[in-house]
Amino acid sequence: MDIDELIELVKLHGKSIYGFCCKLTGNWADADDLYQETFLKAVELRFKMDSSRNPKAYLISIAVLLHRNHRRKLAWRQKIAPTADLGEAADRLLVPLASEATPEDAVLSLELRAMIREAAHRLNDKLKLPLYMYYTADMTIEEIASALRIPPGTVKSRLHKARENMRKVLEADSL
Amino acid sequence: MKDEDWDRLLRQSLADAAEPGEELNESLIRQLKERNEMKPKYKKRLSVGLLAAVLLLVLSVSAYAANQLFSAKQVAERLGDRMLAEAFESKDAVQINQSKASGDYRFTLHGLVSGAGLSEFRQSSEELYPDRTYAVVSIARQDGKPMPNTADAEYGLDPFFVSPLIKGQKPWQVNIFTMNGGYGETVIDGVTYRMIECDQVEIFADRGVYLAIASGTAFFSNKAFGYDEATGEVYAKEDYSGASLLFDLPLDPDKADRAKADAYLDGLLNPSPAPDSRDTEGLVNTVENKGIALIQNVQAKMRAGERIGETIPESIQEMTSNGSGKLKYSYDGWSATISPDEYFAEDQVGFSEKFSISGKDDVYKAVLFHKEENGVITGRIVILD
Repeated sequence: MDIDELIELVKLHGKSIYGFCCKLTGNWADADDLYQETFLKAVELRFKMDSSRNPKAYLISIAVLLHRNHRRKLAWRQKIAPTADLGEAADRLLVPLASEATPEDAVLSLELRAMIREAAHRLNDKLKLPLYMYYTADMTIEEIASALRIPPGTVKSRLHKARENMRKVLEADSL
Repeated sequence: MKDEDWDRLLRQSLADAAEPGEELNESLIRQLKERNEMKPKYKKRLSVGLLAAVLLLVLSVSAYAANQLFSAKQVAERLGDRMLAEAFESKDAVQINQSKASGDYRFTLHGLVSGAGLSEFRQSSEELYPDRTYAVVSIARQDGKPMPNTADAEYGLDPFFVSPLIKGQKPWQVNIFTMNGGYGETVIDGVTYRMIECDQVEIFADRGVYLAIASGTAFFSNKAFGYDEATGEVYAKEDYSGASLLFDLPLDPDKADRAKADAYLDGLLNPSPAPDSRDTEGLVNTVENKGIALIQNVQAKMRAGERIGETIPESIQEMTSNGSGKLKYSYDGWSATISPDEYFAEDQVGFSEKFSISGKDDVYKAVLFHKEENGVITGRIVILD
């Protein structure tokens, strides 16, 4: 893959990869960093990339690896200088979605969405990564399997488990 | 709830409407293109690369394509000043991106910008001198080791002095400290970025303005720099044990203002009040008096055992040793290093009467130090009443 194709990927998949980075890091500054680093790392790895073979999944897998590597660093940064949390801003960002939704969805309170996001955030990586890939980055089961290098069946079962875990947490919270 | 409803709920809640900003994508695409240009040359012409590397070492002064480093704009953003970040991209900003090596470090001067009202954070001195100059410098180790992070005990052990100096002016009299200066600092990927600011220096463009950097000292040091009274030149001393060097700031001579510059220097070097400056003098007095009054108020409350302002609960942190007998505190951009002996008497328990305050828009905060009976010393930020 050459640089022009990679630049094309920025335009094509930038939004979903950025959204995924936001979810993973939880704040804008780190999301910006992770997003940029993902593509810059892809420059080094571009000879291994094939535009016909799921480049989005490949980019997401780079983001996951970089995030893992940086996690320790991010952890202390959070500790000494807590960065602006996405929570509040994300609420605002999500409002426009309601216009595309059915009337019942429109009543779906911001509070409930915040609870769902919080419950997702609390999941362990095994469940959280496929969940964000599926719902945030809009990837198919096959794409997730290829990014995480696990069989599609495992992706399905992890997604199922993630949904069930979250459902339980929300039920417990709303009691 | 049905499975499909639950699925839709999840999709709505977890979808992220955030998009990468246009600027972010443009910067990314630019970097991608730059990397594309860099890589093949490296692969094909290793010998040319080596020669270039040797030349770089020999010359030690080089224009550095700062594509691996953050730009002045990005540093300002990191330091939470978006307005200033924009200013660094404006046509009035001077992009410099020049590197010099000295001592154990490689310093890069990224760029500077001058003007009034550029920053989101206002200094009290701006009431007197609204025009400020902002510059970003990065510091990396020559041996490739990372600079200590702000949370590391080693952070600040080798301090740096970064200041504009003016040709023809004694550098110990006219420097960042006397020009109402300050700085913000952050460490990213093992590189220290310092953004300095002070009263604007463009008015001195016709005289010549340096940006002086020295390691091993936070203040101007006669050991690091010399001053030739005859020519007015400042020079870095070669026998200095640490790093010391000067950048010539490429300021636009058209922006020089001899009369304004003279008046400024007069005010700075002869602080006795001129007859027509009573108002400004009064303002300084008011600010100073307010500070003194606040300190005295806090001290009185300490003695009386009363509540002192509103403590930010998460700011209460045990201070850590920096390895040289001093204790370090840092929280949300605040940092302080203290000698416990200077702050607490031997058997003293409770708050130290020594502390610092800072204020913005009439909100004053203090960093207080507290000693427990078991000897543990904590730092905390208190919003003063």
